[in-house]
Amino acid sequence: MAVGVEEEVKSLVNFLGLPAYKVTTHGDLKVPQLQTSNGRTLMGLATISKFLAKSSASNGAKLLGTSPEEHAEIAQWLEYRVTVVDRSVEKKDVQAMLKELNSYLLDKVYFLGFHLSLADLVIYHGLHPVMCQLNFYEKQQYQNVSRWFDQVQHYPGVQQHLPKVVFVRNSLYTSFDH
Amino acid sequence: MASGTLYTYPGNFRAYKAQVAAQYSGAQLNVVSDPPAFKLGETNKTPDFLKKFPVGKVPAFEGKDGTCLFESNAIAYYLGNDQLRGTSPKSAALVQQWVNFADSEILPAACAWVYPTLGIMQYNKGNTDQAKEAIKKVLTVLNEYLKTRTFLVDERVSLADISVACNLLLPYQQVLEPAFRQPFVNVNRWFVTCVNQPQFKAVLGVVKLCDKMAQFDAKKFAELTPKKDKGGKKEKQPQQPKQEKKKEKKQKEEKEVDEADDLPKEPKSVDPFAALPKSAFNMDEFKRTYSNKDTLTVALPYFWEHFDKEGYSLWYSEYLYQSDLNMIFMTCNLVGGMFQRLEKLRKNAFANVCIFGEDKNNQIAGVWLMRGQELVFPLSPDWQIDYESYSWRKLDPDSEETKLLVREFWSEEGDFKIMGNRKYNQGKCYK
Repeated sequence: MAVGVEEEVKSLVNFLGLPAYKVTTHGDLKVPQLQTSNGRTLMGLATISKFLAKSSASNGAKLLGTSPEEHAEIAQWLEYRVTVVDRSVEKKDVQAMLKELNSYLLDKVYFLGFHLSLADLVIYHGLHPVMCQLNFYEKQQYQNVSRWFDQVQHYPGVQQHLPKVVFVRNSLYTSFDH
Repeated sequence: MASGTLYTYPGNFRAYKAQVAAQYSGAQLNVVSDPPAFKLGETNKTPDFLKKFPVGKVPAFEGKDGTCLFESNAIAYYLGNDQLRGTSPKSAALVQQWVNFADSEILPAACAWVYPTLGIMQYNKGNTDQAKEAIKKVLTVLNEYLKTRTFLVDERVSLADISVACNLLLPYQQVLEPAFRQPFVNVNRWFVTCVNQPQFKAVLGVVKLCDKMAQFDAKKFAELTPKKDKGGKKEKQPQQPKQEKKKEKKQKEEKEVDEADDLPKEPKSVDPFAALPKSAFNMDEFKRTYSNKDTLTVALPYFWEHFDKEGYSLWYSEYLYQSDLNMIFMTCNLVGGMFQRLEKLRKNAFANVCIFGEDKNNQIAGVWLMRGQELVFPLSPDWQIDYESYSWRKLDPDSEETKLLVREFWSEEGDFKIMGNRKYNQGKCYK
């Protein structure tokens, strides 16, 4: 599921208002690589996105969280993105993941705290191909994920190159187990 | 961009709407809420103020360019920006819809329920029950709507969120206890997100959701009601923490602002318990529990769990002139008469008084719970008639004897060893 990971890194660079970096992918698994301004190479989405957020003077602090707890939670969701979201290919894995996220997001607007963070951004990018595949019935089934996803894709500057996923506000299906 | 002065009193949730809107738009707002610049009930009654704001209510806004506005939603609209007002006609109409919903569907019920708990308004069970139902209904509507939405209109905070959240602020702080709000998970999520946005936080501070549904505050109501006595209150409670005092001031002022004309007339007498520090023990709740639930298994455990031994005391009493007691029914009348004369004490005392023995040989004894640490009877002439005919012994709330007496007398069951050979005949409850 590493398709488009270069674009993802580039869109994060744009979102943060940073100068362009050279981004490539490495190997069969398409691990992203980023060349920093002093010639060093960073590998892996989690590493790169943390580096980028830290490099942004304006948005970085908010995206990375302010307390040690928030830092830890961000790290957890970055790991979740790489180990769960990106590896859920089978339908049953995808369903299990959506179910988990759906219950997590029941009482939350963002993944942590009360504002958008790096966790929302990386999960949004990771879930985009999944959400594109869902039919309306499934979107309603994972209502909290849908609501969160719609909020994030409407956040100014987030969507960029990705197509908008369409959600409906009213319940289309009245009888299903929730 | 709009800039000017907002007149209000501290803690006014209506003014919050305007203040939060200004936080979002960056409008320069000078908030005037404290004397001498603004004194509620005085400044807003001056001819100068009324000329600019004929209704004489706050919040009121006066722009640097001379624009004068009253009504909180209008001020919030003026101080906001396009994003808050809705960027398309459709969004703007939806924003209007929710702003009006907040004032016409939420606010009347919210006030009817919350104001008695703040002592601003007299309690009326019918009105409170009706208000609870109305709040349940609006929360159900909001909950369904917010199932698929993060904010009320589009994907951003708008005046709709500001107005609805500010009108729900007092209910969430005072009465929407966890069990009540639990079914409205989508509303809770939305509300907590709103009040934690930096722009809200800058105005509201940290919003703590209510842990336990506040009940009618009779004491505060009595305190707040005699409006003429402004200086007296401060002297009565020199121990009150500053914050509490401030809160009271705010509530007193709110009363003056929001008061409707059809409120019940003010009681003339002063509450003799006003000087006592507030107690966490809820007498009404205890009496309800005692009346409706099993005494031994529910009411007594409830009592011992919630009993506030600083704020209340327990007493054992016996009739001093038992040789005068004749027929049981006459003794009953004696006790009944005493209860009647103590009518006004009901909010502050509870007792179960039992009659032991038989005709021509009987005795009265009882276990009393009363506010404060002293016998309350000397406080009112009505209360003094009977109490001198009884012996009064203060009970140590921690002793086993007290536990036993309370259990026997309040449940009207047990050996009543304290009464010797006289058998329990009947009990009368003062509640």
